[in-house]
Amino acid sequence: MSFAGTVGPLVPEVIVLAAALLVFLLDVAGARRRELVGAISIAALAGALLVVLADLGFLPLAALRGLPPSVLNAVPAAGSAPLYTFGSLGLVFQGLFLLAALLVATASLSRASDERGAPIYYGLLLLATLGMLLVALASDLIFLLLAIEVTSLATYVLVGYTRRDARALEAAMKFYIVGALSSTLSFFGASLLFGAYGTTNLYALRAVAGSVGYPVLALLGYGILLAGLAFKTTLVPFHAWAVDVYDGAPHEVSAFLAGGTKKIGVFALFLVFLGPVLYVKAGGGSPFSGAPFDLGPTVQLTLAVLAVVTMTVGNVLALLQAEMKRMLAYSSISQAGYMLIGIAIGTSPALAGATLQVAAHVLMKSGAFLVVAAAAAIGVGPKIVDWQGLGTRRPWLAVAFALMLLSLAGVPLTVGFVSKFVLFSAAVQARGFFVWLAVAGLLNSALSVFYYARVLKVIFFEPAPGPLPARAGDVVGAAGPTPLGAGGIGYGRAVAIGVAAVLIVAIGLYPQPILGPIQSAAAHFVAGGA
Amino acid sequence: MLPLVPIVLASLLAGTVATFLAGRWARWVALATSAVFLAEVGGMFLSYSGWPGYNAQSVPGFAESVSYPWIRLPWMQVNFTVGVDGISLVLILLTAILQIATVVYSWKETKNPAAYFGLVSLTCLGSFGVFVALDVLLFFLFWEAVLVPMFFLIGVWRGPRRRYAALKFFVYTHVASIVMLVGLLATVFYSGATSLDFSAVAAAAPGLSPVVQTFLFLALFFGFAVKFPIVPFHTWLPDAHVEAPTGGSVLLAGLLLKLGGYGLIRWAVEVLPAGFLHDRPIVFAAAFVSIAWGSVVSLAQRDLKRMVAFSSINHMGIVLLAIGLDSSLGLLAAVLLMFAHGIVSALLFMSAGTVHHTFGTRDIPAIGGITPATPALATMIMAGALASLGLPALIGFPAEFTALLATWNGLGYLVLLPLGILVVTAAFYIWMMQRMLFGPPRGVPLGIHDVPWWEGVGMGLLVAVTVLFGILPGLLVNVITSSPVKGFPGT
Repeated sequence: MSFAGTVGPLVPEVIVLAAALLVFLLDVAGARRRELVGAISIAALAGALLVVLADLGFLPLAALRGLPPSVLNAVPAAGSAPLYTFGSLGLVFQGLFLLAALLVATASLSRASDERGAPIYYGLLLLATLGMLLVALASDLIFLLLAIEVTSLATYVLVGYTRRDARALEAAMKFYIVGALSSTLSFFGASLLFGAYGTTNLYALRAVAGSVGYPVLALLGYGILLAGLAFKTTLVPFHAWAVDVYDGAPHEVSAFLAGGTKKIGVFALFLVFLGPVLYVKAGGGSPFSGAPFDLGPTVQLTLAVLAVVTMTVGNVLALLQAEMKRMLAYSSISQAGYMLIGIAIGTSPALAGATLQVAAHVLMKSGAFLVVAAAAAIGVGPKIVDWQGLGTRRPWLAVAFALMLLSLAGVPLTVGFVSKFVLFSAAVQARGFFVWLAVAGLLNSALSVFYYARVLKVIFFEPAPGPLPARAGDVVGAAGPTPLGAGGIGYGRAVAIGVAAVLIVAIGLYPQPILGPIQSAAAHFVAGGA
Repeated sequence: MLPLVPIVLASLLAGTVATFLAGRWARWVALATSAVFLAEVGGMFLSYSGWPGYNAQSVPGFAESVSYPWIRLPWMQVNFTVGVDGISLVLILLTAILQIATVVYSWKETKNPAAYFGLVSLTCLGSFGVFVALDVLLFFLFWEAVLVPMFFLIGVWRGPRRRYAALKFFVYTHVASIVMLVGLLATVFYSGATSLDFSAVAAAAPGLSPVVQTFLFLALFFGFAVKFPIVPFHTWLPDAHVEAPTGGSVLLAGLLLKLGGYGLIRWAVEVLPAGFLHDRPIVFAAAFVSIAWGSVVSLAQRDLKRMVAFSSINHMGIVLLAIGLDSSLGLLAAVLLMFAHGIVSALLFMSAGTVHHTFGTRDIPAIGGITPATPALATMIMAGALASLGLPALIGFPAEFTALLATWNGLGYLVLLPLGILVVTAAFYIWMMQRMLFGPPRGVPLGIHDVPWWEGVGMGLLVAVTVLFGILPGLLVNVITSSPVKGFPGT
């Protein structure tokens, strides 16, 4: 096979990898300016995003298409066991991962220019993104777990890369230990599945799910694998690490973790658990239709229960938080529960709804954490009460943040409403047992409004307490010695936040351009492609 | 044919965005926006002397209807469908009148004028959207779009307890909205409609079993009743009114309460007829309690604004009673009452606002005999109060008369209940006028000025509307009765 033939479908991955290596080389060569490495990273991520969009058919740019149309959504021949394939749902997720990385990379331009290690930061960001791109292509369990590991290793370092901040170091350590445990569990689960089925290929696993001579072994394998992936996806009760890590990490890294890397867990759950769930659907259509310890029903019921518990616990704990980042972290946990509804139901509309929810979450949660970064740069403290008066001091920032919170709460005119509407109506459409998932989701959205409204009240209604550093440059330390542009926020952050806010409203008003491709991708995904 | 409703929507949207961005020119942009809106709506209104007007289109029974695909789900089509009929047209006219009156009245708003006028325009945009939306999701979208600007209007500008009031308003109405949305979507899903369009839902939903309809109607009724507001879900209203700036109160009483009434007529009564019939005892009970409670509690209020707020509960109770009658006369009365109450309560809230910043208080016993010092203000208060208690030749009279007539037709001697309460309503208005307007001056500082011109123009516009439609109610009645809602000749 020619070079082009080998690399052709992998253009986005190659671009990102090449940029990562280039950034590391520049570090060795001594060219460590943040603007330089940042520009290279942003260009690479944007280029990769364009290629992915072209492959999906979004852009009328045939020249950019790296993927032959025959490869897209091709089901591998029986007997072959490819490590990776190109499904359109995977490409959609790639696009979302790249979008998250792009937002974070743009915003990170505004980090203090004298901060050391800019090439390391961007290099690790690109490597983490590479791992995420590979997750989206995986069609083999081991390949999937290794790709997750690539991302994880890069993000462990990213969390602690400032080195001098004790909280960040503690967060990195915690993240690493939990991540190692999660990987161990995942690989152990995978090995049990290999023992039960004799294969780690996801197509093969999907085809034979349920028809196995060792049901307990398979159940154990899926269960332990679920625990491992649940850590990545921050499902309750495997969520506790996430709050401390999101809280302690640098704000941009929190944005990347919550808005970006967490979603590889979601897609991994799609890949691994669609098989058992589809087996149930073929057999009976209800989690209660099978015999006890029957694989499919048990898996489906577990996923549904996890979804409800995750939503509820995340929301209730978010209500109790006094610090902004911890509140956002818990809200992020509850949002993972919504996404899990999609895979628990396993129909293509439900998966489409969950994918749209992932897209919404990329915009609103990355955006919200980036607003936290911008607010910190102008001297706003970590507690929610410290945000008093932001509405009058920085009206545009406050309005953007309000849009993100309203979208998280699922208020109409935002993408968060559309995604929840599509997801919950898919649950109702699936009838029977699943209607209760929609009801639980709806009650949770109603509950979540309270803590978002509380933040809005603080920002817009309560006057700023006493004199505050009014303009950039007054805050030495947090904002760096030189005043940043865009009113102390920094141009990079301003652009990233602005783009996220505009997309939240634009997709909320007219979702069809995004929703249509996601629906057809989800249909392909359920029908056969892995 | 031009898609008129989307064009009006677009002009309103552009004007609203421009108002937010206009800085110190915001009031001029807001005035231009509202003037254009009023001209467009006035044109539409005048062109509908006969139904279905010159532009009957795709959706049966609705003029100016257009439909564009919006969200496609595998089992359901969500469209951007809009259109008007007589009921919505009257309420749209109300929206346009109130918008321009509010903008003029608030001309000298100094606290963040761009945001203030922008939020006023946004509220009117949302209300307009609610009145024209013919798709469940679109309707809900505009419904919530009213909530957010009103939340800020209450919470940022005036009273000392405004944050509490705004949060209370948000929580009450948001919970109600969720219940309403669940009710509407459950109606769609259970009825098997494949589109969220009003015509599709209204065609499919009556086929549901009466028992299911009963529960669905209750959910919708709750959702709309909080907006009405119906006792005992009314407690957000007095707080919100007292703390809101005058413009906020005007839109709250004039428009937001009408959303509840309109929603009940369009999305509950028409969609779930059997459920409505089963739940009518509850509707009547709620109506009678609200009528009596609102009136009697008004009698006890010392704060002028709070008194007007409770009188709104009384009036909206009569609207609910008229809707509950399930007759064409009752429906006519309900729409007339909503229009009348929208204009008159706006006038009264403006008067209360002017009283507040002229005399420094709204406490009725604290001031008296203001007529010699401020004759124009006293005239406005009197016009509002007399229209509200139903004096002939003012707009309140044809509305209340129709309502009582319809009640007599529908319920016989039970009409004595609202009729008796009407006496109480007259009593608290007349007592208020006696204490505040007449008699020896009390609490009137020396050298005060009468109504400033901008407030005078704003209120004067509403007085003119009150008199115009009081003398010529036929202008409204023709548009309503010729619309193809059940029971009207246009069907």
